[in-house]
Order: sequence, then C-alpha cells, then structure tokens
Amino acid sequence: MVSKRFVFKRLLMLFPVLFGVATVVFAILHLSPGDPAVVIAGERASQEFVNQVRSDLGLDDPLWQQYVRFLGEVATFDFGQSYQVNRGVPVSQILADRLPITIELALLGQFAGLLFGLPLGILSAVKQDTWTDHLTRIGALSGISVPIYWSGPLLILLFAQFLGLLPTSGRIGSEYFVEPVTGLILVDTLLAGNVAAFQSAVVHLLLPVVVLGIYQMALLSRMMRSSMVEVIRQDYMRTARAKGQGSKITVMKHGLRNAFIPVITVIGIQFGSLLGGAVLTETVFEINGIGTLLVDAINRSDYPVVQGTVLVFAVLYTLVNLGVDLTYSVLDPRIEQ
Amino acid sequence: MSTETQTGTVDRGIVERLRASPFLSQLLSNRLAITGIVIIVGVVLIAVYARFTYDLNDLMATQFGTNPSESAPSAEYLFGTDGQARDIFPRVLYGAWYAVLYGTVTVVASTFLGVSLGIVAAYYGDLTDNVIMRTMDVLLSFPSLLLALALVTIFPEELGLWRAVGALTLVYTPRFARVVRGAALKVLEDEYTDATKALGATDPRLLIRHVLPNCLAPITVQSTLNYGLAIIDIAALSFLGFGASPGEPTWGMMLSNGVEFGLFSGAWWWSFFPGLLLALTVLGFNLLGDGMRDALDPRMRETVD
Repeated sequence: MVSKRFVFKRLLMLFPVLFGVATVVFAILHLSPGDPAVVIAGERASQEFVNQVRSDLGLDDPLWQQYVRFLGEVATFDFGQSYQVNRGVPVSQILADRLPITIELALLGQFAGLLFGLPLGILSAVKQDTWTDHLTRIGALSGISVPIYWSGPLLILLFAQFLGLLPTSGRIGSEYFVEPVTGLILVDTLLAGNVAAFQSAVVHLLLPVVVLGIYQMALLSRMMRSSMVEVIRQDYMRTARAKGQGSKITVMKHGLRNAFIPVITVIGIQFGSLLGGAVLTETVFEINGIGTLLVDAINRSDYPVVQGTVLVFAVLYTLVNLGVDLTYSVLDPRIEQ
Repeated sequence: MSTETQTGTVDRGIVERLRASPFLSQLLSNRLAITGIVIIVGVVLIAVYARFTYDLNDLMATQFGTNPSESAPSAEYLFGTDGQARDIFPRVLYGAWYAVLYGTVTVVASTFLGVSLGIVAAYYGDLTDNVIMRTMDVLLSFPSLLLALALVTIFPEELGLWRAVGALTLVYTPRFARVVRGAALKVLEDEYTDATKALGATDPRLLIRHVLPNCLAPITVQSTLNYGLAIIDIAALSFLGFGASPGEPTWGMMLSNGVEFGLFSGAWWWSFFPGLLLALTVLGFNLLGDGMRDALDPRMRETVD
C-alpha cells in the first residue's frame, strides 16, 4: 500500500508546479504581440473606447498587480469571459462543456492503444528476434511515424467517401439530441436509453478513436517490448523456469508485473502526446472538444479562453502524472524511498 | 566475433577505426538503422534537388489555364493537381526542403540551448541548478504540442514558419537539458575532471573540452529522435494553421488543404502524397534514432539466453 505520507508529499509538490505553470501561461499571454483591448473593442473602435476597455479589464495596471490578480483568478478557477469564441460566456463554463468531449476521446484512444499495444509488445518480446518480432517492431515504428493528420484524412476518404460505411465528422448524427449529463456522449446516450443514438455515437467515434489509438498502440507496444525484454533476462525469471514452471506461466506471473512498471510511467509521460493527438484528431474530424477550442481561440485572439484551455491541459497532464506516480509506488513499494 | 577474417586490402584504417568504436560498428550492423540512413539521405537529396530546380514563386502561384484543376494523378501530373491547378509533385518535393531546413534549425537550436543549460546546471549546482532545472520541469509539465501552440502566439505573424521553429525550440530545450545534465553529472564525478581542474583549466575549457565530448553520445541519440518529432510537429503546427502561409508548399499546409478542400470531393491525392513523404521522413529518423539507442545501450545488445 501507499503510505499517506507519500501521497501527501506528492500532493504538496503539485503546488510549485501549478504555480510555475500559471506563471508560464501568464508570461506567454503578456509576451503576445496582440492587444486584448483592441480585440474586444473591435478593430474599428475609437481610441477612447479601446482605452476604456483596457482600464475596465485592468490591463493598464502594473504588471505585478495583474500577475497577482491572475494567480487569484486561477486559484478560484475564474478565467473571465470569452471575448470572441462564445462572447460573454464564462471561460469555466465553456471548458466544462467541452472538456468531457476531449477526455472521452482521449480515454477511448488510450484504451484502444492498451488493448492492442500491450499484447503486441509482450508477443514481440517473448518471440524476440523472430519474424513476429520484426514485423511488430516495424509496424510499431511506422505507427509512431504516421501523423494523425494523415492517417485521419486517409481513413475518412476510404471508409466514408469511397466505401460509404462510416460518417466523416462529428461525434453523433445530427438527427439525435441527447441531454448532456456527463458530457460523455457514449454514457449520455445510454443514460437516455436511446439505443439508436448510442449506435450513432459509436459509429461516429470509431475512426477518431482508431486514428488516435494507432499512435498509442504503436508507442505502448514498443515500451512493453523493451521492458519485457529486460525482465525476461532477469535471474528470477530463470529461477522460476528452473523450478519447472512453464515459460508461459513464468512470463505471466513474474514477468508482467515487473514489466508493467516502466510502461505505466510511459503512459503518464505520453499522456501529453495523447492530448496533443486529441487536438489534431478533433481538428480532422471536426469534434468540438477543447482542442478545437484552443485552436479557434488562438486564431481569434480570445486570450481568456487560450489561458483557461492551456491551463486545463497542463493541470490534466500534471494530475495524470501524479496518478501514475502513485500507481507506480503501489506496484513497486521501493519507489517511495 | 572473429578478428582475422576482415584483413582485405580495401581500407584498413577505416575498418580498424570502426571496430575500435563499438557504437559505430554496432550501428552499422543494424539493418533498420541503415534503412533509416538511406531514407534520410534520400530525403535530403530530394530537398536539395527541389530547392535548386523549382522556383518557389511558381510553386505558390495558382496555375489556372496552364494546368487542369483537381486532376487525379496521371503520367503528366504524377501526384495530380490541387484546387489551385498547381502540380502537386514538385510541391511535395519542395516540401522536403522545408522539412529538412526548419527541422534542422529546430533541432540544432534546441540542442544548443538544452546542452548549454544542462551543462551549466550540472557544473554549478546549487541555486543555478535549481533555477534552471525547476524552470525546465515547469515547461515539461505542459503537453508539448499544446505548449507549442500557445508559444507560437508570442512571435509576430510575419515570421511565418519560423514561429513554429521558435516555439518548438523552447518546447524541446528542457528534454536536452535533462539528458545532458544527467550525463554531465556522471562525467563530473570522474577523476579526470579533478585532474583537469588541478592542472588549472578554466571553467569554460573544462566544460567544452572535457565534459561536453563525454556527453556527446546521449546528445546525439536525443537529437536524432527529436529530428523526426520536430518535422512532424512543425507540420502539425502548419496543419493547424500556425506557421506556413496559405500557398507555401509545406507538407503540413498541403495536408491542411487536403482536409479542408480535398476530403469531400474525394481528391485523395491532395493528402496522400505529402503525408506519405512526411511519414517516410519521420520513419527514417526514428529508425536511425532507435538503432543509435540500441547501439548505445549495452543491455540491448546481448541476446536472450
């Protein structure tokens, strides 16, 4: 078990990181050449009006005052209102609406990656230096080399345009309306008991999840392989075999648990690339998650939305890595020291 | 390994030197790494060829009247034409130049920054180390593509694709700093460092002449693996609309056009060819990087009993 002290220590370490993250976001937005006051007032507004907006927003206060105010806002999850994307709507509201969409996509992609990546990696390691191994490795290497914004369009062309089997974009047919409860479309359609809508959602999400999953699968199978290859060489594995256990049982019983440890760290570190992948996937498949929101907000200089979105992404990433650290210490209690 | 067999008259010097370096001989005996090198050399040749054969303005201008618009690949237009009636084939070739040029600058710049910071942090320790490495930690707590997206906005729009280079340089720097700091700390523990200091070497001399060369291996591997990533990320930023200007023949921009306009008309060739070359290039760097890592890590060399 994880000791309370370890959990507490890790939680405490979150604060400096989040503080640093908030500072970086603040710095980026203040280094940007655009002027938020002009964005809000509009290009053709009079100078007086622009000045009025600027002082209303507190943008003519000294930088340190703005910084302190910003930290306070971040601590209370108050990112202000959107200037452009959803004018006047609080950023926290927009994020709450759109975050589940991205999370659902990312989780499904991660799940697909684990489902296929781990067995492939294990197979590759157990059959090291055979044709199975070579094929899996080359496949995995190709998988991480193929950009999502290439595989996505190609699959859309094949399955939607030419074969007409799957829809091209979105995450549910436009004829369905499902009351958002959790924001996760697969869950919401089920909660509403609408089977047809659920099927529509599954069909819509299939390609985006496959595209996102291919990359994760490739990545995880590589990690699983190299971790497993290392574990197979360990003395305790030879001992187990010498004691007369079949090699399959040895691999499953002794190998997996040990091989998983580095793989889990990698899942945490790669969660960042999963989120990056989700942004690209959302763009290709026109899914309105926080990825497309960020791109939209940057294009339209909607600073509060950019701030909020980037912060949420960083916090999500940091929390996942915290979770990974804790899982890690459950699997290998030595880590705590 | 038998040492007697290779004593031909060819070039004993090189053979000897290769054998002396387990890293190189290991790398060159790895078929996948060789494939990677071949791909990379091919892409660089394409890039240089395209750069000095085609006129960029011609490639960017619409070609209505000269070429058919949205025509499928044919003998005349190998990769077809796009919605602006531009021949896609030379554009895809020219895209290699963009990838190689901007990718190289990104990797070189982030390597330089990261290596400098890492070595300085390792050598001076204490406060310097803490300030540098904690800053790196913070940068590493953002998902990389998203940090790059946010960072692109701090550069003026006129910089075009150089904005992506600037943003990604800052995103990759912490990775190099970490790797180098770790390697440098190990080197600094060695006795020859003390000996060099005792002989009166100055800090810069010690760091550049003695510590740096001993960290080169991990730096090279990290750079190679990052090369593929840089090319794919620059294209991603281009694809998302941050970087290249609309007509520029970068792979990311072509893919973006392919999704925006080519997808619903079924014009698969808009996306297919630029993406194919992009994926192949990235694969080349990943193959080489993987081979390098295997060659460096002695544990990976042995085969299972």
